[in-house]
Amino acid sequence: MAAKINTYEKSREWFNRATKVIPSGVYGHLGPAEGCFIPVSSFPLMGERAQGSYFWDVDGNRFIDYMCAYGPNVLGYNDPDVDAAAMEQVKIGNCMTSPSYKMVELAELMVDTVNTADWAFFAKNGGDVTTAAIMTARAATHRKKIIFVNGFYHGVAPWTQKVDYPGVIPEDVANNLYVDWNDFEQLEKVVAENEGEIAAFISTPYLHGNFFDNILPADGYWQKVRKLCTEKGIVLIIDDVRAGFRLDLAGSDHFYGFEADMICFCKAIANGWNVSCLCGKDFLKSAISSLSYTGSYWMSAVPFAAGIACINKMKALNLPTLLREKALKVTGALQAAAENNGFDLRVSGEPALFYLRIANDDSLLLHQEWVSEMVKRGIFMTSHHNHFLNASLTDEDIAETAAVADEAFKVVAKNHPELF
Amino acid sequence: MMDSKPDARTLSYINLYAVLGTLENLCELDEGARALLTNKKPIAIGFSVKGGPSATLTFFTNGRCRMEDGIKECDILLPFSSCEKFNGMIDGTVTPIPSKGFQHIKFLLKSFVPLTDRLSKYLRATPEDLEDEEFFNMSTTLMLYTIAVAIAQIGNQDEIGKFSAHNIPDGDISIGIKDGPGAVIRVEDHHLLALKKPAATYRAVMEFKDMKLARDLFDGNVNALACIGSGDIRMGGMISMVDNVNRILDRVALYLA
Repeated sequence: MAAKINTYEKSREWFNRATKVIPSGVYGHLGPAEGCFIPVSSFPLMGERAQGSYFWDVDGNRFIDYMCAYGPNVLGYNDPDVDAAAMEQVKIGNCMTSPSYKMVELAELMVDTVNTADWAFFAKNGGDVTTAAIMTARAATHRKKIIFVNGFYHGVAPWTQKVDYPGVIPEDVANNLYVDWNDFEQLEKVVAENEGEIAAFISTPYLHGNFFDNILPADGYWQKVRKLCTEKGIVLIIDDVRAGFRLDLAGSDHFYGFEADMICFCKAIANGWNVSCLCGKDFLKSAISSLSYTGSYWMSAVPFAAGIACINKMKALNLPTLLREKALKVTGALQAAAENNGFDLRVSGEPALFYLRIANDDSLLLHQEWVSEMVKRGIFMTSHHNHFLNASLTDEDIAETAAVADEAFKVVAKNHPELF
Repeated sequence: MMDSKPDARTLSYINLYAVLGTLENLCELDEGARALLTNKKPIAIGFSVKGGPSATLTFFTNGRCRMEDGIKECDILLPFSSCEKFNGMIDGTVTPIPSKGFQHIKFLLKSFVPLTDRLSKYLRATPEDLEDEEFFNMSTTLMLYTIAVAIAQIGNQDEIGKFSAHNIPDGDISIGIKDGPGAVIRVEDHHLLALKKPAATYRAVMEFKDMKLARDLFDGNVNALACIGSGDIRMGGMISMVDNVNRILDRVALYLA
């Protein structure tokens, strides 16, 4: 049976109201511009509710969600165990003058769970902790420069942006150096050219940037980087905001067989309750203690309680293995549907955060068309970004995804008789 | 460290290729402009800017004109001792003195100056002039071409523009107005070339829904991100290409303000 085709009248009404009082209606990655809603008419603009692997928009359309709020949904929306812990804490106390002891319990759990962690520092968003990591590295080394990997994303603070971005001035990024992913020789050269000036090397555990196939680390790459950073006194920071806990509960550095000096977590810590965490080695504890760096809600207790429940449940489920198995089923089904219809669908990156690209053209136009047909039929995906899986995704959801994918490929093929 | 302020050298490239270069399109589209040239002997004006660009603008008997890079043969040569001096000619504060072709001074005064005045009228249109639909469409079309070429010049010359261009992969980016004029930014090894014609094929596209929307965007009266949300701007293909062109576009306003 053909899938229902969504319409978005109420979404449009709400969006039009939004544009009157909110810059660009919905800004950032959840909005139509940065979210690459191509065409915008195929995508929901406003949500109403969510449960498990699904969310419903304001028009009542249900979506199987392969973006998981861009990562925070790791166990399933409204996970009963996590939400029960959060609600229990709401009754006791949340944002208080003295922070709740729940902060200590979560810090102890992080230190027990994360391989490289001797301490845990909490904030709210991923960018809060990547900034904390950079400031800590500079405080510890008394050096200015930071090495980035081209294609990086470490948040939205001015230092993480590029010189041509609106609102960024050259001084914001004057101490940023750039190298290509997996190019150790280039990294060595940059380090040599800036001897004694580099505070930190910051990178995601593998290259999961947008608009290009994701790339895993080459054999031995991280081990060589670790050795170089140690020899040169460069702080090695892993930004695990996106991949954290989905590959390895001990951290993605552990997954790839090395130890970062600091590692940044956010999305998967508390299944949507807002908390981020920087973990680090003992030798940096004094440096981070010296920072003047805090926020009004950083020590709220509810997300700490949710985080404890979430991490314990991820451990009980052996989440990385579970997600990998589910992801391989999803990507296998999508590739089979593609092949049946004459499409070359490439899958890259780690399975739990799979990235997709139709390679029959070099422009992403076909891929955007296919994603549009998927979304119109209730499978929420994006054309430019890695996807996210959550533990509640069922085999029935995967079967439905495969059926819709087949239908969507057929529609795109029919639209392009010159190609198929 | 890069400087985010506009520089005179980049501005001279914009003034030569994007502003004076739009005379090509003016002569093609505007009968009044063609009338200033028709039945006159072909004549070539060379613009040579020390430390900056050089190009030759050739006017033909049929009322058309064409700009080519560099100076090979020209009837009139206008040398400028600096980019600032050339930019001064464009903003009307410097009077150029030909080093060659004094005998053609009449063409400069009677044809070239009126042509550039006519171009200015379209590119710096008054609200009253824009009430006329035909003028509005012509003005908006010429602005599109000027902006497209300015994007290429900024991507090739301006320090921050070059940073943006460095992040654009090879291919054609189509920038156009639905059912109207279009241009292409062709990228090859991070060098940008503007083609003032609609794209047949492209790797990325940015299309404005109509002339009015394009005009409002050019004049800074509407926000591009909001227009993407409303569907008034259609994006497609390699969005990273469009993103980086938009960053350069942000600097076009800085130079052409």
